[in-house]
This record gives sequence, C-alpha cells and structure tokens, in this order.
Amino acid sequence: MRVPGQCGGTMEDPSSQNHNGQLGPSSGGFCAENKQSDEGNQRIQYSIPGILHFIQHEWARFEMERSQWEVDRAELQARIAFLQGERKGQENLKNDLVRRIKMLEYVLKQERAKFHKLKYGTELQQGDMKPPVFDEPGVAEMPVDGESPYTSVSNISWRQGRQLLRQYLQEIGYTDTIIDVRSNRVRSLLGLNNNAEAEENLNNAQPVPTALNGNEPVKTARKSQQPTSLTEAMMLDTEAAVLANFEFLAQADVDLEDDDDISEDLDDQGDDDQDDVKTARRKGKGNDGLSDDVDAEAQVVLNELILLTETEDNTDGRHQTDGTEWGSGMGFQSGAGPRRQMGFINDEEAPDSTLGLGELAQLTVSNEAEAFGPLASTKEFRKTWNAKYTLRSHFDSVRALAFHPVEPVLITASEDNTLKLWNLQKTVPAKKSASLDVEPLYTFRCHTGPVLCLAMSSSGDQCYSGGLDGNIFCWNLPNPNIDPYDSFDPSVLACNLEDHTDAVWGLSIHKQRPQLLSCSADGTVKLWSPQSKIPLLSTYSSEQDGIPTSVDFVRDEPNRMVAAFASSHCVIYDLETAKPVVRLESSQEVLNNVVGRQINRVVAHPTLPLTITAHDDRHIRFYDNTSGKLVHSMVAHLDSVTSLAVDPNGLYLLSGSHDCSIRLWNVDNKTCVQEITAHRKKFDESILDVAFHPSRPYIASAGSDALAKVFV
Amino acid sequence: MKMADGIAILRRNKPGTKAKDFSRWPDEPFEEMDSTLAVQQYIQQQIRREPSNIAQILTPPEGQDEGVWKYEHLRQFCMELNGLAVRLQADCHPETCTQMTATEQWIFLCAAHKTPKECAAIDYTRHTLDGAACLLNSNKYFPSRVSIKDSSVAKLGSVCRRVYRIFSHAYFHHRTIFDEFENETFLCRRFTLFVTKYNLMSKDNLIVPILEEEAGTGESEA
Repeated sequence: MRVPGQCGGTMEDPSSQNHNGQLGPSSGGFCAENKQSDEGNQRIQYSIPGILHFIQHEWARFEMERSQWEVDRAELQARIAFLQGERKGQENLKNDLVRRIKMLEYVLKQERAKFHKLKYGTELQQGDMKPPVFDEPGVAEMPVDGESPYTSVSNISWRQGRQLLRQYLQEIGYTDTIIDVRSNRVRSLLGLNNNAEAEENLNNAQPVPTALNGNEPVKTARKSQQPTSLTEAMMLDTEAAVLANFEFLAQADVDLEDDDDISEDLDDQGDDDQDDVKTARRKGKGNDGLSDDVDAEAQVVLNELILLTETEDNTDGRHQTDGTEWGSGMGFQSGAGPRRQMGFINDEEAPDSTLGLGELAQLTVSNEAEAFGPLASTKEFRKTWNAKYTLRSHFDSVRALAFHPVEPVLITASEDNTLKLWNLQKTVPAKKSASLDVEPLYTFRCHTGPVLCLAMSSSGDQCYSGGLDGNIFCWNLPNPNIDPYDSFDPSVLACNLEDHTDAVWGLSIHKQRPQLLSCSADGTVKLWSPQSKIPLLSTYSSEQDGIPTSVDFVRDEPNRMVAAFASSHCVIYDLETAKPVVRLESSQEVLNNVVGRQINRVVAHPTLPLTITAHDDRHIRFYDNTSGKLVHSMVAHLDSVTSLAVDPNGLYLLSGSHDCSIRLWNVDNKTCVQEITAHRKKFDESILDVAFHPSRPYIASAGSDALAKVFV
Repeated sequence: MKMADGIAILRRNKPGTKAKDFSRWPDEPFEEMDSTLAVQQYIQQQIRREPSNIAQILTPPEGQDEGVWKYEHLRQFCMELNGLAVRLQADCHPETCTQMTATEQWIFLCAAHKTPKECAAIDYTRHTLDGAACLLNSNKYFPSRVSIKDSSVAKLGSVCRRVYRIFSHAYFHHRTIFDEFENETFLCRRFTLFVTKYNLMSKDNLIVPILEEEAGTGESEA
C-alpha cells in the first residue's frame, strides 16, 4: 500500500496548503487542524467562499477516499488472480513431482535389472517394467533419459495462463498496485531464496557451468545423477522442478527445445531483463527522465531485485537469470517498460523484445490516464456502458428524453403524441435477456401532434414539452411511485405556452433561474418565465439565419444563449439586449457549401466556454464562445449527427446519429471512448435523442423504433 | 421537401421542419422498405396519403403476414386514439361520466386493475389505452415486429373490444367531439371495417352505427 499512500500524500498536501492559504485562520472552524491551532482565539466566521472551499475540500476528500477504495479493490483482485495463478503453479509442480518419482522408480528398476543380469546372468523378475505413462499430452512422449526431463505442463496451458494474467493486468491497468504486489512477491522470493540457496549448496557439490538456457542446469543434474546416489539426483530434480515452477509463476514460458521460437523469445527477454537490471544498476539511482512516483517505487523494487540477483550471483549464474526473469515477468510488466527501453540502446536482442514492449507501452498509457485525478480514475474504471433497461410502450418514434435531476426517473416524448414517465427502479423481469423491461408509470396526453422536444426543470418537479402542434406544455411531475392505473388528475398539466405558430423543435431550461428557451419552425426563439402571469419574456428572430433548430443557455455566461440554425449558422445572443454577441464562425468549407450542413443540435459545455454542434454532414464541431472560432471539427458518425449530451462534469460527450449508433467521446482529447449500436431505422431516421443523467451513472438513447434504452 | 436528381431522398423530419412539411416525403414503395418497421411505415404512408381511403389503407401488400399486418394496424389505432383521448380529457369529467357506458345496456369494467373496477369513463379510456400500449409493446407477447406467434395474435381481439368502447362512449356521450375527430381521422370507420374484415369483433358489439350512417348518406364503403 505504499504507492497509493504516497500518492494520497502528495495529492493531499497541496490541497491542504491551499486550504490554509485561502481560508486563513478566520474560517478555521471548517478544518480540524486549523481548529486546533486557532482554538479560542478566533470566532468562527462563515463566508461563502469559505463554505464553498470547505465543500470542495470535502468533496475532494471523498473522491480521494473513493479512489483509494478502488485502488484497494483492484489490489485485492490482482491478489486473487495472483493466488489463483500460484495455485495452478503448485498443482503443476505436484504433478511434476509425481511424474518424476515414477520415472526414478523406473530407472531404479532398470538399474537393478541390469545389475542382476550382470551379476547372475539371468533376467530379474520384478513385476511391472513398463516406463511410466502419463496422461498429459506432451509429457507422454518424453524420453526417459532424454534432454528434457521436466516439461511439466504443455506450452499451451502455460501460454494461456500467461495470456490470462497479462490480460487481467491490462484490464485493471493499475500499475501502482501491481508494483506493490510485485514488491511483496520479490520480498517473499527473497524468503524463498534462502531455501533455494540451501538447495544451491547441494548443487554446488557438482561443477556447474554458467548456463544460458533454462534446461542447462537440469542437464548437469542429469549428468551428475549417474555417478551419485539416487537420492541426491532426486533432490536436484526437485530443485529443478521448483525452478521450473518459478518460471511458470514468472509467466515466462521456458521450453526445453532450443529451436522453439517462443522459448527463444522468452529466454531473450529474460536475458534482456538481466541486462536491463544491470543497466539500471549502472545508471544508478539517478534514473533521469523517469521521475514519477511509479518509477521511484519501481526503483525500490529494483533495488530489491538487485539484492536478489547479487545473492544469486554467488551461487549460480543461471539462477540469477531465473530470478530476474521471475521478477520482471511477473510483476514488472509495466513498471519495467521504460527501464527496458533504456537497456535496449546497447542490446542486440532489441527487436524481439520490442514485441513485448508493445503491450507494455499500453499498460504505461493506462497508467498515465489514472493520473488525471480521482474522478478521471473512477471513470477510467467504468469504461463500458451496457444496455440495461429497454423502455417499450410508445407506438412511434421516441423524439426526446430527459432524466430527473436526482431520481432514476426519466420522461420520454414520442411521435405518438404522448409523453411517458418511467421509474427505472420499477422493473418487470424480462425472461431470456439481460436487459430489464420497465413499464411506464404515467402517460402525459395533451399534444395533438408528435411531441418533439423535452426539458426537465432543475428541481425535477416540472417538465416542459414542445410539439408539432406549436404548443409548449408545462407538466407537474407525478410522484415516481404513483400507481400506473390511478385516476386522471387534470392538475398534472400546469400550463400551456402557446405563442409559437409552428412546430416547437427545441427547449432548454436554465439551471438556476426558472426560465425556458424554445425555438420553433416559425423562425423565432422565445424566452419564457413559465411560472409568471405573463410567461413570454422576449422573442428573438433573425432574418439572416433563418429557422432555428436548437437552443441552449450558455452556462458560464448566465445571460446568454446560443442558437443554432438550419442554415448551419450558430449565434450567441445576449438575452437582455436580444442582440447577437458572438457569431460562431463556420469554417471555410462550410461557408462554401452550406447545403446539407444543417445543425441538428447545439449544446453548451457545462464548465468551459465551449459550444458543441451536431451537423447533418456527420460532423461534430467545437467552438470557442469568446472568440467564436472553430476549435475542433471531426467526422463523428457515418450519418447525420442528431443529438448531443454532455455529462454533468463536462468530461464526456454523447452523440447519437441516424447511423443507428450512439458514441461516447472524451471531450478533452476528442477521441471516441465507446460506440453502441442502439436502435433500428424507421424510414431514414434512427436515433433522435441522447441524454446523461445529471447525478447518476445512466445514459439513455431514444430511437425511431419507438424504444428508449438506458445504459449503465 | 427538396428533391435533387441523383441525390437519394432522405425521409427525415429534421429539426426545424415546419408542421405542414412533417413526414411529407415521396412515398417509398413497400418492396424497397428494408427496415423491420416496414409494415408500420407502409400503413402510415397510406394513411398520410389519403386518410379517407380506408379500403386502400386496409389492403395489405402482397405476401404480407396477416398477424403482423393486424398487429401493426392495431398499434396505429391505439396511437391515433390518443387524439380522441386528449379531446375527451377536456370534456369527459369523472363527475359527469362516472361510469364507462355507451348505451344503457352495459357498464364496462376497467380490466387494467387486479380486480376489474368501475372506473370513470375518462379513467377507463386512459387505462385501456395505457394497458393496450403495454400489451402491444410487451416483450413477452410481441417480442418481434416481424413475426408474431399465433397465441399472441389471439390477444388482439380483446384489445380491439376494449378500445372500441372508447369510440362508443364518445359517440353516445360526447357526440360533437366524436364527429370532429371522425371527420379529421375517419378512425372509427376504419376501425369498424378493420375488425369486420379480420373478424376481430362480433357484429353485435359494433354499436356505433357509423357504416349505416354512411350508407344512408349514399357513400358506400367496401
């Protein structure tokens, strides 16, 4: 647990310094340490920045604790995998030993027979004289006095196990943990090493040549077996088997046939490792260019390893290789990555080993990703979203959906003129499928045409729906535990905002104020205060830009909105003056050929001055709100992009398209994190809306196949 | 709807489409529909073309599986009945229409509850439509929209019987609403012909004299 501890320490330090620096003694009441130092002298003064800071501090602490738990969990999981591997190794070892005993028995019988024949000139009758037969393939063919006395397990199963463990390591991608476990292993190996040394002394009775290959020492053992007593030979055999087992644990597949490619590769790798260790030793503690914690930690482990190799140096050259191989193969995968690179400079075997490095490099990358912070790391862990709930009850295309801000509740709006309320906690178990069916709790009927858009108030008490009939209805949300077949309550419909004269295509609700934006095919964008007596606050229209298709409030400038138009223009307006403030400039190519570049959806980033637009020409474009310049443009889908949603933290972007897929994007580096094929086509339409739950890990998609799906 | 030669027609309602242009695209021949929702697309296309041409709407394309055809039509009926329910919500109050009745002969009990209940007419309407929506979308009975088990097709009859009561209640108690709605959608006429054609309801239960009226005014239906 050393690494996480260190990490925690380094991360906590600046924050607590910050805390002290910003708050000073005046708000010491918030912090236990401060409280102790300033007790009695200071009155507790609460200030808004102080409180905010305290909340942020607490939040950071919780996040950190959570990531700590994640670390612990990953660690335990790694440990389980490790122990499982070890158990397998032990089993192999056992089988190996049993076989060896049988072999020795056989040899002994043969010797006796020979002796008897020489002495008495007759055959000795001593029962079963058949060579032992083994079930395992690849062992049965083993020659009794051959070159390869201890291939205990077939290559395949070793490689499978090795592959499995590697996969696992990549999956958890948590190098800190690995190093930790690894260092434990190294230490326990050192413990084991004492035993090995004891055995080594036995071995030293024989002249042991410095070997290059794994089978060499065994060969010597074999050779030495003939003149010496059987017991000693058995000891040597056992030791060889133990070593073989080490190698298994090290995931280093040692094959005894010299011409086998794999074994060569691995042996090379082993040699490389040895070289690398030496290089590292030579380059010493400086370790330039590798300054992060992980490497520092790896350095410690490395020192242990050096210690190990040094001990072994005294006994047997070959065993040194074994040890190193063990260490690097087992745990070093990622940690040793950069170090190996160092070693490659003067290494002949580089090409072979770079193959291995490919995987290692990946591991290092995932390690970097972890460094983004506690939040990023938790996200990193839950990389894949899977369909969990299928919401089936609409008769026609689902046009829009919106989540409740807190509860696992959502509303869908459909072309069948209705909206439906769903509670994800009230599921109907569906047979034969992993996904759960949910039945709607309430059906909102009032629109006389398809319902096209939806917005949920930030309190979750009300929602607004805009339809093809030009109406915007304001609904009071029924209790999410309502009986689906309760009697009709007309008060669910709170009000009707009916100033639009054509289809209402977009709604957006202000996060703090009770204000609503709507855009309509009648060419206007309207600002509403739905609770007031005269709900319509103002109307915006632009001859130049044409029909608005989507609107959103700009989050960092509460008095601004961004409107997107079918003409592919995108403009930020000041709500007070009703004047355009910034025109988000279309790139040159767009200006040249405006046809087919319609913006289908515009969303404002929750924290950054960034506007994201979804276009008919398969692009998603990012604009800077202050300069109005295009920041990034990417072909995001195979067909028109219809919908966008940004997660509440602003880290991920979700997009839906008529190509039937939804895609999750990392806002930071604009890479696609996941793609899910979610809905079927009706005519040429497929996915019409996507959404993030504001506070829970749910995402949802709405499709023209009359279904909505929720992913977890 | 702009149509350029050589450019494939995209049958989409893009954001910003005006209400009058909604779903107004050139018909797609049934043979060219490759979607799993082809039957729904086809039915909606036929209705959009001419809602009063019921014979045309009820004529299935060649080789169409009858179970799916009936199922998709019933979905469409339930969907369009939402329109009637919206109008009834404004006029049919639980205080005045305390029971679901048409003629004085029957009081209909709401089957949406564990034990059938004497719901007010508007509740009966809503519950029946909600229940039909659940049944017709049920993963258990209708997991596919391409092929439907015979045992599930058998369920369509009872759905028809229940939703028909909405027509009859509207006809006998909210005649103005019924007439307005019928003049726009021809829904009751279509429904009556549909259930007759496919034998989903017995003639005795079809109490709204809609076809007779037409015969009286000289219009003849298939």
